[in-house]
Amino acid sequence: MGMKNIVTTCLFIIIIFGFMIGNIITPDIEISFSERRTLTQAPGFSRRELISGDFFGKFEKYTLDQFVFRDKFRGLKAFMEFKIFKQKDNNGIYIVNGNINKLEYPLNENSVLYATSKINDIYKKHLININTSYAIIPDKNFFLASDNGYLSIDYDKLAEIISESITDGVKYINIYDILSVDDYYRTDIHWSQNRLIRVADKILTGLGSNKKASDIKYIQKELYPFFGSYYGQAAVNTEPDTLIYLTNDTLEKARVFDHYYKENISIYEPERFNGVDPYDVFLSGQKPLVTIENPDSSTKRGLLLFKDSFGNSIAPLLLAGYSKITLIDLRLVSADALDKFINFAEYQDALFLYCTQTLNNSYMLR
Amino acid sequence: MQSPSRGISCIGRTEIIMVFSSISFLYYFLPLVLLLYFLAPRRAKNLVLLISSLFFYFCGEPVYLFLMIAVTFSGYLHGLWINRAKDGRYAKVSLISSIFFGVAPLLFFKYTDFAIKNINLFFKLNIPALKLALPIGISFYTFQILSYTIDVYRGNARVQKSFIDFSAYVSLFPQLIAGPIVRYTTVESELYIRTHSLKDVASGINRFIIGLSKKVLIANSLGELGDIITELNEKTVLFFWLKAISFMIQIYYDFSGYSDMAIGLGRIFGFHFPENFNYPFISKSLTEFWRRWHISLGTWFRDYIYIPLGGNRKGMAKWLRNIFIVWFLTGFWHGAEWNLIFWGLYFAVFLCFEKLFWLGLLDKIPVFLRRIYTLFFTLISFVLFNGDGLGECFYNLKGMFGFLNIPFSNSEIYYYLKSYFITLLVAAIGATPLPKTLTEHLGNHKKTKSILNIIEPAVQVSLLLLVTAYLIDGSFNPFLYFRF
Repeated sequence: MGMKNIVTTCLFIIIIFGFMIGNIITPDIEISFSERRTLTQAPGFSRRELISGDFFGKFEKYTLDQFVFRDKFRGLKAFMEFKIFKQKDNNGIYIVNGNINKLEYPLNENSVLYATSKINDIYKKHLININTSYAIIPDKNFFLASDNGYLSIDYDKLAEIISESITDGVKYINIYDILSVDDYYRTDIHWSQNRLIRVADKILTGLGSNKKASDIKYIQKELYPFFGSYYGQAAVNTEPDTLIYLTNDTLEKARVFDHYYKENISIYEPERFNGVDPYDVFLSGQKPLVTIENPDSSTKRGLLLFKDSFGNSIAPLLLAGYSKITLIDLRLVSADALDKFINFAEYQDALFLYCTQTLNNSYMLR
Repeated sequence: MQSPSRGISCIGRTEIIMVFSSISFLYYFLPLVLLLYFLAPRRAKNLVLLISSLFFYFCGEPVYLFLMIAVTFSGYLHGLWINRAKDGRYAKVSLISSIFFGVAPLLFFKYTDFAIKNINLFFKLNIPALKLALPIGISFYTFQILSYTIDVYRGNARVQKSFIDFSAYVSLFPQLIAGPIVRYTTVESELYIRTHSLKDVASGINRFIIGLSKKVLIANSLGELGDIITELNEKTVLFFWLKAISFMIQIYYDFSGYSDMAIGLGRIFGFHFPENFNYPFISKSLTEFWRRWHISLGTWFRDYIYIPLGGNRKGMAKWLRNIFIVWFLTGFWHGAEWNLIFWGLYFAVFLCFEKLFWLGLLDKIPVFLRRIYTLFFTLISFVLFNGDGLGECFYNLKGMFGFLNIPFSNSEIYYYLKSYFITLLVAAIGATPLPKTLTEHLGNHKKTKSILNIIEPAVQVSLLLLVTAYLIDGSFNPFLYFRF
């Protein structure tokens, strides 16, 4: 009994003092690459914040973010939730055969209606004379959730709401049928560009183009290891993906202009692979307005691509049918400001291409 | 009163409170206080505890710290006056004065808006509410101070002449904000002189880690479940049952976990606080349930309200009156809401009926049926407790019993039931004496005892690290009893 008391006391003291000292002497980390966010830094001290209690609130957040072996502890929690408590998901993240996914539930009908009203407004204001279509990218839940006992939104209903509420002039291009779960990264939310040739073909055909991505020769380049956004959130050990991008001379030569920073960028920026979000390799990540010009195009057609992050990887393939594509991210630029940057008369086609997760959480569209 | 589902809204508040289940408490405050406390000479230990406790309170309630000090000072002075007047009539005046100055802040901060709301409703007025934040722990420290002055008046406690020692008793951080309600007489001698043994420290650590695990691994998880299912689009009968059951288990693990932590911390510092829970869900009647649930509150009301009113010694009518007064106050103590008053009176009715008619009857039926009876009516009571007003309580009850014209279940609720099944099962088993009995049984045999001696510290370390992992990864961490 005496020995047990000594062991208990010593272990407790070692743990609480050990971590206290460890936390104090370990330099603070600025960014969590696994969670893709900046970590809370030590709060500044002011009398006002001390009296209001804000200081201690900030200090608690700081201690949570700057705890030594933070990722290991997160992994331990995930292990407990999945393996011991047998929870179906941990913070909404679930894993099916090594494929990490995030629950998207329930269907937010008002959000879907908001997205279509946004599309309708833009169409009526700017696109009446432009051949306009929309396509919905199913998120991974479409393939994984219901078959494996996870909650899943009613994708048919989502499509039905959009088809019933979208204005008549906007045509639907169905890409559900030609996608499978293998077309997406296992550790990330996104689809994999090297598996999108047939999707690009179907979209080009749907938009009335006689060009096809499958007629173009691409060189496949690989970046490894790709730890997708879900990898860090899941906090479990699983095999990373390989990020593959398709390039050729045309794409290497293409002029890509970032309207926000007014600078030229590249279609692919492999040096961003080691940044917070490796998916930023495609068109430098999230940008409000980017125009890609195809130097080898035999057509004079322009495409307006209203998109979320999924659009960045398919846009280079769609360039097969266009001399110019302008990508518009309505999460970052207001629809009301578009005519300041875009001469709509220069475009013949427009495509609204959104993932179901964006449509189900569309209040971020401005 | 807020439900844990609405607990999200109180996270903003609890976020700034240095709760026991927080990284800042576990890995900054506690080691530093332990270091200072055990390095300090015996005479300075209470001062270390006082300063630590005031800092602890200041972290969550910088402004209300002065209110607590003022109320403590009032209790201290009244104790001196009562003692000086001894048995004279001024002793009684001092006692009444101490009760008035002790209870007035509690009434003002906790019940003013309730009074305004009901006056507005009754007289069709439009008096604006004060919307004052409730000082954390005021219900607990007020009752502790009252126990002191009343016991000094009764001659059950010696007057405390040291303001530092008295303040250390009132503000002692292990039990300051959510109990158990430690009476002055319980720790009176330990305030003067207490021993610190390795046995007490180890047992305190063990108890603290158990409480911490109950809170973080079970209560928080069930709180999340309640939150998630409340957000579901379609309500079903099973939803209302799952919500009720998960809340009942959550509040037990939340509150008893806090009490375990308080008792454990107290023991590390050489104090022996009273037990606050004794496996209430194995009770065979509601009368027994209240002997096992929030024991320190029940005994406080018994000794300072029920017995002074005459208890059951002055005839049936007065006994019934006393029961209803005590349970009205018990409900009202928990919060200024009609559903909480109703909750208290619900128990008054059951306790009266049990004492008058049912206990004899209950004795004749099998034990498991008595337990089902108790669990069922306890569950209903927590639906009353958890509602945001009487309207929501009755809505939830109607939902449970199929009066809302809703389906019995759907895939959503099955998903979450399945997902949290192990947690609920572990929680249900942990709420019985089975784990304790098993541990004791193993400890009684020579062979298993030596294995147990190795396993126990390993389990404690594992639990502490697990709790740390859950705290780092999670954000759901409100303590339900901070609201009272």
